[in-house]
Amino acid sequence: MNDSTAILIKGLIKSYGYVQALRGVDLEVKQGEIFGFLGPNGAGKTTTIRCMLDLIRPQGGTISILGKDPQEDPVWVRAQVGYLPGELSMESNLRVENQLRYYSDLRRNRIDWNYVHELADRLELDLAMPIKNLSKGNKQKVGVVQALMPRPKILLLDEPTAGLDPLMQQEVYRLLREAKNNGATVFFSTHIMSEAEALAERVAIIREGVIVEEAEPSQLVSMVMRRVRIRFRQPVDVAPLTSIEGVSILSQSNGNNIRLQVEGEMDDLIRALAEFPVSDLETEHPSLEEIFLTYYKAGD
Amino acid sequence: MFSEFKHSLRRLRGQIIGWGIGLAIYGVLMVSLFDSIVGIEGFEQLIASYPPEIMAFFGDFMAITTPIGYIDIYYFTYMTFIIGIFAASAGASLVAADEEKGILDLVMAHPISRTSLFLGRLLGFMTATAVILLIGWLSWAIPSGGTDLELTWIEFLRPFLPLYGVLILFGTLAAVLSLLLPSSRSAGALSGGLLVANFLLTGLANINEDLKTIVKYTPLNYYQGGDAVRGINWEWLGGMLAVSAVFALIAWWRFQRRDIRVGGEGGWRLPLVRRRALRKHGSNLKEPA
Repeated sequence: MNDSTAILIKGLIKSYGYVQALRGVDLEVKQGEIFGFLGPNGAGKTTTIRCMLDLIRPQGGTISILGKDPQEDPVWVRAQVGYLPGELSMESNLRVENQLRYYSDLRRNRIDWNYVHELADRLELDLAMPIKNLSKGNKQKVGVVQALMPRPKILLLDEPTAGLDPLMQQEVYRLLREAKNNGATVFFSTHIMSEAEALAERVAIIREGVIVEEAEPSQLVSMVMRRVRIRFRQPVDVAPLTSIEGVSILSQSNGNNIRLQVEGEMDDLIRALAEFPVSDLETEHPSLEEIFLTYYKAGD
Repeated sequence: MFSEFKHSLRRLRGQIIGWGIGLAIYGVLMVSLFDSIVGIEGFEQLIASYPPEIMAFFGDFMAITTPIGYIDIYYFTYMTFIIGIFAASAGASLVAADEEKGILDLVMAHPISRTSLFLGRLLGFMTATAVILLIGWLSWAIPSGGTDLELTWIEFLRPFLPLYGVLILFGTLAAVLSLLLPSSRSAGALSGGLLVANFLLTGLANINEDLKTIVKYTPLNYYQGGDAVRGINWEWLGGMLAVSAVFALIAWWRFQRRDIRVGGEGGWRLPLVRRRALRKHGSNLKEPA
């Protein structure tokens, strides 16, 4: 681990009784980056985040947050972190402002209330409302405000835009980018691919408690697979192409047109195509969502 | 810790007011009735005609016409399990209720240690109990001036201390149980049930001598009630507070070690959950590392 690492996780294992939620998660997040943590429900996203805050204790592996182990120094670690849980619950009898003041008390009142009001205004949140009268979306706004209000060095956000309308989602993205520009590291989990593509500089995909891929969203799209359409000037025998590693035929029509799926690099395919009368070639990148589904189908 | 203590008191404010008003009304009412009740002609003969089992259940029932006997039988005997309801439910809710609602997850993500949170809440519960009893004490001490209840304010105060000891003991017991059992409600119900059972057992031991061998191992055997007006048995009170401290330590230790749950986790039917999980996930499930 070097000074620029915000979060370092190695071999994290966590079981709930007989259910193994994490089976050796390895992850590194650099300071000042926006990191997306992708996976469907039950993949281990929330468990990983809760381990980082010492809310739950892993059975194996290590975690380092800004160089400190959350189990050894939980108060220090939590002082650096703003957290938004996936299942947000607050005291329903309190008004929003009183709830935020309680959280501020827990941070020894090191909160800039002008900033709290600015956040509330931008998210169109009424601080005088009782929590019990808030809709799911408005409760989520309270969660976003309390996570951002201490201007933490690290933001751990479990599905930050759940329940928000598209306009508010965009506002949250802006707030998170601003936090990043001010030096914060943003780690967020989501199962919404468009959110990861819009926001994350790097993403990791978790499946059944293991990280199956970690890359920049654009890299992930290019490195995993492409679809290639080839039109030949005359009918050809494409058998030599299918013997190339990572190449499979998706469809073929009248010997002239072929659709291939290519996993990994394109070098071997291009070399092989030099022997063919190619009139047109078109590559198509799948969306992050398609890649995500590919990873999950691979596990079925 | 102080912020959590403040917050706990704020949350218990409604209960303090509710129980305080209830105790105040009851105390003032009982003080004002003392002269009338003991002044009833033939009252002692009426009491003497009660079945001996009832007389024995409440101890020295004939002493009801004396100030000490009156406050013992009409107040301190019952108050253990009446305010005990508050103690058991507040103790069980110390941390487990917030955990079940999912509130604790976000609270514990703030820079507060588990020890500070636990101690802050425990002190909040102890202070709230003390305030409720303080109101109870004042409701006897203030209006007693114009009556034949000739006890000093200090004498009125003394029996409230053993009562405080009992309430803290059952409150901390409820706290321990809430961190061992899957729900705070079951912990509150169990500790409240144990308190009522102990009350009945103590009374019945006055009728059946054989029960005395069991009762001597229960907390209410060491509860003085109104008799503390004459002087507090500090050993008994100290013993109760020491047991409370042990319960508090066990609860703290459990809280230190456990995973903070979120809504829906935990339950009695673990083997059933496992069977269902195995059916759902099949071979993907492995023994915990």
